[in-house]
Amino acid sequence: MNEANNTRLIVTKAVLWFLIGIAAAVAVARYLRGLGATTALTDGTPWGLWIGFDVLSGVALAAGGFVIAATVHIFHLDRYHGLVRPAVLTAFLGYLAVALGLLVDLGRPWNIWRMIVFWQPDSPLFEVGWCVMLYLTVLALEFVPVLFEGLKWERALRVMRRVSLVLVIAGIGLSTLHQSSLGTLFLLAKDRLHPLWYSPILPLLFFVSAIGLGLMMVAVESSTTAWLYHRHGEWPVLRGLVRAASVVLLLYLAVRLTDLGLRHQLHLLVQPSWYSVLFALELAMSVVIPLVLFNLPSLSDKHWPVVVGAFTGVAGFVLHRADVGGIVHLAAGGETYLPALTEILVSVGLVSGMALIFLFFVERFPVWEEAPANPDHFTPPISDPLTHNYFGGVWFGRAHLAAAGWVIGIVVGMVVLETTTTGGKYPPAVPTRSARTVAAVRLVVDESMPASLLFLGNEIAPAQFPEGFTTALLIDGDRAGRAVLFDHTAHRDRLGGEASCNLCHHRNLRFERGTPCATCHADMYRCTDTFIHDDHITALGNNASCGRCHPATEAVKNRASATPCVECHRAEISQAFAEGRHQCSTDAAVGDIACSGCHGVSAASDPEERADRSEIAGIAPGYRLAMHQLCVECHCAHESKKAIEEPVMTRCGFCHRGVESEIEVVPDDGIGGRPVVVAEGFFQ
Amino acid sequence: MTTMAILTDVTRCIGCEECVSACRRTNDTGSDAPYRWQGGVNDLSSTRWTTLVETGNRNVRLHCRHCLDPACAAACPVGALSRTEAGAVAYNPVICMGCRYCMVACPFAMTRYEWESATPRVRKCILCYDKIKAGELSQPACTAACPTEATIFGDREALLAEARSRIAAAPQRYIDHIWGEHEVGGTSVLTISDVDLTDARWPDDLGTGSRPELARKVLHTVPYTFFGVAGLMYGVHWTLERRRQVAAAEGPTAATADPGDEVQRNEEES
Repeated sequence: MNEANNTRLIVTKAVLWFLIGIAAAVAVARYLRGLGATTALTDGTPWGLWIGFDVLSGVALAAGGFVIAATVHIFHLDRYHGLVRPAVLTAFLGYLAVALGLLVDLGRPWNIWRMIVFWQPDSPLFEVGWCVMLYLTVLALEFVPVLFEGLKWERALRVMRRVSLVLVIAGIGLSTLHQSSLGTLFLLAKDRLHPLWYSPILPLLFFVSAIGLGLMMVAVESSTTAWLYHRHGEWPVLRGLVRAASVVLLLYLAVRLTDLGLRHQLHLLVQPSWYSVLFALELAMSVVIPLVLFNLPSLSDKHWPVVVGAFTGVAGFVLHRADVGGIVHLAAGGETYLPALTEILVSVGLVSGMALIFLFFVERFPVWEEAPANPDHFTPPISDPLTHNYFGGVWFGRAHLAAAGWVIGIVVGMVVLETTTTGGKYPPAVPTRSARTVAAVRLVVDESMPASLLFLGNEIAPAQFPEGFTTALLIDGDRAGRAVLFDHTAHRDRLGGEASCNLCHHRNLRFERGTPCATCHADMYRCTDTFIHDDHITALGNNASCGRCHPATEAVKNRASATPCVECHRAEISQAFAEGRHQCSTDAAVGDIACSGCHGVSAASDPEERADRSEIAGIAPGYRLAMHQLCVECHCAHESKKAIEEPVMTRCGFCHRGVESEIEVVPDDGIGGRPVVVAEGFFQ
Repeated sequence: MTTMAILTDVTRCIGCEECVSACRRTNDTGSDAPYRWQGGVNDLSSTRWTTLVETGNRNVRLHCRHCLDPACAAACPVGALSRTEAGAVAYNPVICMGCRYCMVACPFAMTRYEWESATPRVRKCILCYDKIKAGELSQPACTAACPTEATIFGDREALLAEARSRIAAAPQRYIDHIWGEHEVGGTSVLTISDVDLTDARWPDDLGTGSRPELARKVLHTVPYTFFGVAGLMYGVHWTLERRRQVAAAEGPTAATADPGDEVQRNEEES
């Protein structure tokens, strides 16, 4: 096969460059915008794909290096000799990917050197870091003979050959430590990892699986490059590898299941859940399918089972590492992690980069026993100002294709970024305005009921008020663009005139520049007791007012002996029932609207029934729950976790609305020549 | 130096959030902003180092619990997190490399991160140790701000005694348990309550074992593993090499009698 016309290879390289382009764009954005904008990580799930794939899988995939080195140099199984150099190169690139992946994932990567200076022997990550550094060095030294051979530096080559055994043994020792210490890493995450994955023998599981994975990875790498370069695959050798892998996989399966059994977690497997499905998928891919494909006698004379089995097995163990690394982490709030597209793209780009470096070395240095012919698609583009031929050479099938792929990749990466990373940024600014005076009309339908306010059009200067109209404050209620009509005058009068200003106008609260209604009406927003004693004291006139609710001076002043709410709030309560806003307005026990039926505030009702009732309602857990009849309990639970852009039903403005923030004034509506917008809500 | 601690009595908390405001003011955490990665509007965040959650109609204060053997400090590969002599788990952003292992390791999930920043820091309650050390404060801002003394600061042993005496004085009022006395090896934030605190980040299955011990046991075997494996490998290499040399010296006929070579040859033929 003529290497120059190897379309397969050229297109593959172009695709790899394309993927690198995407990753490069995302990586730049990660450093400029931070991790929040470019990942799906949260406070609850702080580790994700960049740990699970780039680091954990990168190391595990590199296990082929030390396993093959041990096979050949220690156990003297010389027929695997041809695999040593590609395996060591793969391992070196795997560790390089780990180092690069860490630089992307670390929040403050410029401090990584401190790990070398400030020793923290209690930290598993400290051990991991040191192993990466040392083993990367060892791998580099194990691989340099290939470079020296290619460059024909005989002297250096002889020196390296002399220390090769020391390097191999050091490499095996370091790998044993390192593969297992990645499992040790998660021993500390006992309260974070799902029990199907957490185990005190995680170090052992990681080590055993790394050997199986390493063997299969060598098969994957060898068969892929055989396809790419139209080489004859090293099939007999690969078959020996996957047979060895089968033994390791069986051992892994046995240890994993025994461990689950000893920890009494096997029952979790049969409970249908996202985690049991994930576990089954992982085990099927990493162990069961490869075992079957490698060992079925009827498949023993075919090559595809080796390839498919090795690929599936590698994917399965990568899934295992990604699971432990982030996907099966349980956040306190119950939220789960799934990688964002941007994270996946960076990881894929990293692998692509390593693949290209691999191809670079096998084409230029004696990595394989039989090196491929130097392909001529490295020819740089010809640019000739005399003939105005700036894009010389064959357009497709040469380096142009790779360059084009890279540039397109960067563009695609930028497009992807713009459409996916907004989740981490501040929500888009909603043009909210400060509270402003508007005209309103006070509707009094029935003297016994509180008045409703009706909003009249947009802002109107006080001087222009028509006769009989009043003013109210229009407040932008929430970020969904809803506004609330706030009866400022009534609030001021009720709370004590000018002296009461500081009750509202002194706080600076979370998410709001002004003071939200819920600050005072805390019972509406939060699931607390409806009745706020302190507020009643203030409103009714401090100590002098005790008698208003506790008329019997000699009795103990408590909830049971106090005047029922309905004595004073008859109007509000009857209106709530009349409008069907109370949760159980049809219940017979509340027919007399004396809250005692359910809320146990009166000693008068039958004690047995009261106990029964209070189990249902207790003390009303909040105005919102008591008054609003719609599924509030569920909303309360769900909305605390909602992204802030979404409408939050527990915000005042969601229900007390009917007033859009930005309303065009529509002239000639029929009321005093003023535009009107009908307010649906109940504003008081 | 004695270990200083915080005792929070859930039954005394009125939910006024003065502790939250005081913490924000004192530590200059900045104002809250809504972000995707927060657990919820009332959850802890990088700008909200303490917060109140509602459990069983009670307000329970959440913040870093300052474990006696903190998993976060053991996890940190550069020593950015460390336990001070007084018992606070302190954080040094200058040397932090941002691996977030501390967040993964925290048994209570109390650490938060500045995800929005390009130079992010880990954020959590530090028991105002810096201000106390500098003499600016005599106790953490939150305990100083509490109007009902629901959360108080003091020597851990004294607070444990206080908690026990409160429970003994009103056994019908309290659940007979001091959260933080033994959990994960003990914490410097103690809580007594009349409602179950399982939902306030005190899961049932915490156990009393310290988290760092889990990894320490394995990490202590590191040198033995390395030299054990290296020694074993050299031994195998030497044995096989020696056998090969002997076989070569004895001539080709003897070599075929070697069972190891026999197997290998058979494999090669197949």
